[in-house]
Amino acid sequence: MFKTKTVFPRIIENIDWLFWVSLIFLVSIGCLAIYSASLNYDNPMKFIITQFAALTIGMVGIIFLASFNYQYYKHFNSLIYAFSCFLLISVLVFGTTVRATKGWFNFGFFSFQPVEITKIMLILVLSAFLDNHWKEIQKLSVLCKALCITGGHLFLIMLQPDFSSTLSYFPVTLILLYITGAKLRHLLSIILYGSLAMGIPLLVTFFKLQPELLQSSKVISFFVNATTDFKSAVLILGSISLIVFLIRWFLIKLRIHVAIIYPIIFLSIITAGCFSSVVVDKSLKEYQRKRLIVFLKPQIDSRGAGYNIIQSKIAIGSGRIIGKGFFKGTQTQLGFLPEQRTDFIFSVIGEEGGYLFSQLTILFYFFFVWRALLIAQHARDRYGSLVATGIATMFAFYGIINIGMVMGLMPVTGLPLLLLSYGGSSMLSSMIAVGILMSIHLRRFNEY
Amino acid sequence: MSWNNDDKSTYNLFIDKYKNIVFLFFILFLFLSLQLFYLQVIRGAFYRNVSEHQRLNTTHERASRGIIYDSTGKIIVGNESNYVALFYPFEQQYLPSEDTIEQLNKILKRDIKPSIDKGWRYGRVVKIADNLTLDEVFRIQEKKLFLPGITVVKEPKRTYFNSIENAPITGYVGEVRADELETLETDGYKAGDFIGRGGIEQSYDKYLRGIDGGLDLEVNAKGQHQKAFSYRAPQIGNSVYLTIDDDLQKVAYDALTKTTTGKGAAVVIDVRNGAVKALVSCPSYDTNKVFTGEYRKYLKDKKLPLFNRAIQALYPPGSTFKIITFIAAMEHLHLNPNHTEECKGKFELGDRVFACSSKAGHGRINLIRAMTVSCNIYFYQLGLDLGVRVLEEYAKLFHLGEPTGIDIPSEKKGFVPTPEWKKAKMKMIWLKGDTVIFAIGQGALWVTPLQMATTMAAVANRGIYYKPYLVEKVVDAENNNTLYTHSPETKEAINVSSNTWEQLNKALTNVVEEGTAVRTKLKDIKIAAKTGTAQNPHGEDHAWVVAYAPADNPEIALAVIVENGGSGGVISVPVAREIFKKYFNINEPGTDFTIPAEAAQETVEPQPADQVTDEGIDNVQD
Repeated sequence: MFKTKTVFPRIIENIDWLFWVSLIFLVSIGCLAIYSASLNYDNPMKFIITQFAALTIGMVGIIFLASFNYQYYKHFNSLIYAFSCFLLISVLVFGTTVRATKGWFNFGFFSFQPVEITKIMLILVLSAFLDNHWKEIQKLSVLCKALCITGGHLFLIMLQPDFSSTLSYFPVTLILLYITGAKLRHLLSIILYGSLAMGIPLLVTFFKLQPELLQSSKVISFFVNATTDFKSAVLILGSISLIVFLIRWFLIKLRIHVAIIYPIIFLSIITAGCFSSVVVDKSLKEYQRKRLIVFLKPQIDSRGAGYNIIQSKIAIGSGRIIGKGFFKGTQTQLGFLPEQRTDFIFSVIGEEGGYLFSQLTILFYFFFVWRALLIAQHARDRYGSLVATGIATMFAFYGIINIGMVMGLMPVTGLPLLLLSYGGSSMLSSMIAVGILMSIHLRRFNEY
Repeated sequence: MSWNNDDKSTYNLFIDKYKNIVFLFFILFLFLSLQLFYLQVIRGAFYRNVSEHQRLNTTHERASRGIIYDSTGKIIVGNESNYVALFYPFEQQYLPSEDTIEQLNKILKRDIKPSIDKGWRYGRVVKIADNLTLDEVFRIQEKKLFLPGITVVKEPKRTYFNSIENAPITGYVGEVRADELETLETDGYKAGDFIGRGGIEQSYDKYLRGIDGGLDLEVNAKGQHQKAFSYRAPQIGNSVYLTIDDDLQKVAYDALTKTTTGKGAAVVIDVRNGAVKALVSCPSYDTNKVFTGEYRKYLKDKKLPLFNRAIQALYPPGSTFKIITFIAAMEHLHLNPNHTEECKGKFELGDRVFACSSKAGHGRINLIRAMTVSCNIYFYQLGLDLGVRVLEEYAKLFHLGEPTGIDIPSEKKGFVPTPEWKKAKMKMIWLKGDTVIFAIGQGALWVTPLQMATTMAAVANRGIYYKPYLVEKVVDAENNNTLYTHSPETKEAINVSSNTWEQLNKALTNVVEEGTAVRTKLKDIKIAAKTGTAQNPHGEDHAWVVAYAPADNPEIALAVIVENGGSGGVISVPVAREIFKKYFNINEPGTDFTIPAEAAQETVEPQPADQVTDEGIDNVQD
């Protein structure tokens, strides 16, 4: 019965209205805010025109990708991965440097950031791999292989170095592994390792910014020293091992048997985490550390790195319930709010549209993620579900990290708010993601 | 329904985990919404306020304080222009750069090191240099390009004329201190504002303060001005007209400086309404120099120039108190003024001996004569006859021991001793000896020069007691509306018979004609006076004179004290004479400030040893 129908009536019939309403709302309010944030420039139309151009190309992309069967991606899996790595390597060779990050291809009239595309490619590749190996996912070797796929990208991106772009890779990989059925303790080990590797350098930076705290507490200064002093590091690790084995001894006394392998694995993760932290510590730039730290205490550096967070909170808060009116926000129009069109676009909405519009934005953003997840639920195969989950997770975490950041809940990372922030590359990649989602959605029935 | 190649169970496993993810996302987005609600709805008003503060840069134009005139219409406090260099902070820069400071120091040849005080808030202007000369102003304007953010503005500066003589009356102005700001903020004071300190500047501050003008500017993040809102012109404060006569002030002050110690006070009051015509304290300080290095000198000076002796110093009234004893005796004992006593130069009470001013004794004298020569023996006897209660009652009738209520701050109220006080304070019972010396104004009786002047004014007025005041009226700067006019205020009158006043007037006139105050005498005008030589446990005697004139139809009353000056009739009387001469415009030479080898000698009025209190002039409780 369906076969008799052509593509268009089929789209109209099965369209998910809430998904599209959310998408259109988000893009429109984004454009409105971008326009408002450009008013104090000579040519306010410049940015909005660029955004529209990216949107138009994106729309064509959606139609093209929606009509293309996503299941073919699985067959070109290695090719896609190779191509994505090629992109990331060539940007390291041919790319231009913007703000100390070599992550852009400059084509004269427009520039393009390959990481925006590779993050979607990775979702496709990882989903394909997990679809093929879902039965063995509980094996450590398969898990490691999956991590290596992500790790390859992360390694190349960190060479640029583009710390913030790697942030979305972590939740996407973890969620995909989790939903495929990876063991919880494996995932927890990864999280433990990751937080040690990332957390230690950050904590050290945090304490170093507060010298009076270092002087007052000998314990803290000892731990901070341990990051550079090998002997004290060994001492700390040794004492942790001792404690862990003591706990095991107690548990055995209580007739709870714990295989010797677990504490050993636990300790080796800690050790590996600690030693990786040294590598991370060396690769982190000073400004990146400061940005990550100031969200905990913006006052530490209120005129430097903390300025952005403080001004953004003032902008959002001063909007109150109904806002100051579009194009009338003083924080935005007088330039107090930094990075208005890109990272802090939500603050513009918060100031000018008030609680009304910003809550609506969060709501529609959630609807958008939710409907994307519904696509995952109704996909015709596991591959489709995994890809849709990955894309939904990507959108969700960009939103959470960005909105959390502008409200002072998360560190200033430099992640845009997908679908709203100004930026051709990110808009295009969002549209590509939407196109793939549509492809999965349209092919959800087994009949086709 | 889904996943055609897989069995149902694996799909269900997937769905279980899928639900957890949806739940996780829901929680995370809910969390974002809660933070949004907190920022915009709960803390919204706070953040709106912060954003307004950083957007609006209010430039204040300081209003001049009101002008203070004397009774003749002469300006005694006015304003001059002062040029100051200010720095307007802009984006992430709240002090001028090192380069700018270096340039500025080169231009001004000063060593400026600007710093930010604790109360600094974003957008507040920082004062870089004060008291610029016109030449320096032009040099800054020339180099303006090299001095980003630096602006020169004109500010009014308070200027005092005859500043030393008038200091006890005018007080001065100073910047509001940070610790006062909390309480004063509700009255519209802000950091950097001036507020009156002491004198008229303090008590009439609300009239004298102008209304600051200014301009609200909208600034962007770079500190550039975007647009200006309404300009408000500053409004000068109201003019205050004083009762004092600037020339009389100068005469009184100069006369005091010519005395032996140069320390003392003089108060002149118009008896008909309580208007203070002159109020000086000597030595004094220059109100124009309070914020210079001079102030440190004033603080260290042993002569206490910052101390307003006219209203804050407490002295025993000495023989001037005999006026009150005189009235008490006439009223309470119905004493005949012709009643005589024998003065042999000493007075024996129990085992103690009290001496008179004349060692040889005055012989047999009546009340009028006793007053004229200031005989202690006669008044000791009166004291004994009256008793402490009556003396206390009459002292309080003249409102001693309570503040006069003059309209400048920090007035002392003095002290009238009682047997109860002595018992509580010194753990001793009141003795007859205490009563005896009370009658001649010694012991624990403490008064201010102002109180003695008002007492004399009440005597001149035959009992009508006017509250002394300094401000006649307050008029707005355009001289259109009178905001305040003083109407004479009386306190409870001293109700005694007219015969008593007659006799007292006669006695006091005699004091000038042939008694202890003979050196006051002026040809054209009849003066009534009483001198006093107050014993002081800490050093030389204080020299008093209280007087009013003309004796038949009094216009002014005065009190003069020369601290540690010695004999009242010798040291204080010339000061009083100079004041009368100036006030009545009498051009008569012969005011003698020198101390005669042996003149109308009023010797020490002795005190029994146990009456010597440790209380000095400035540590009496009130």
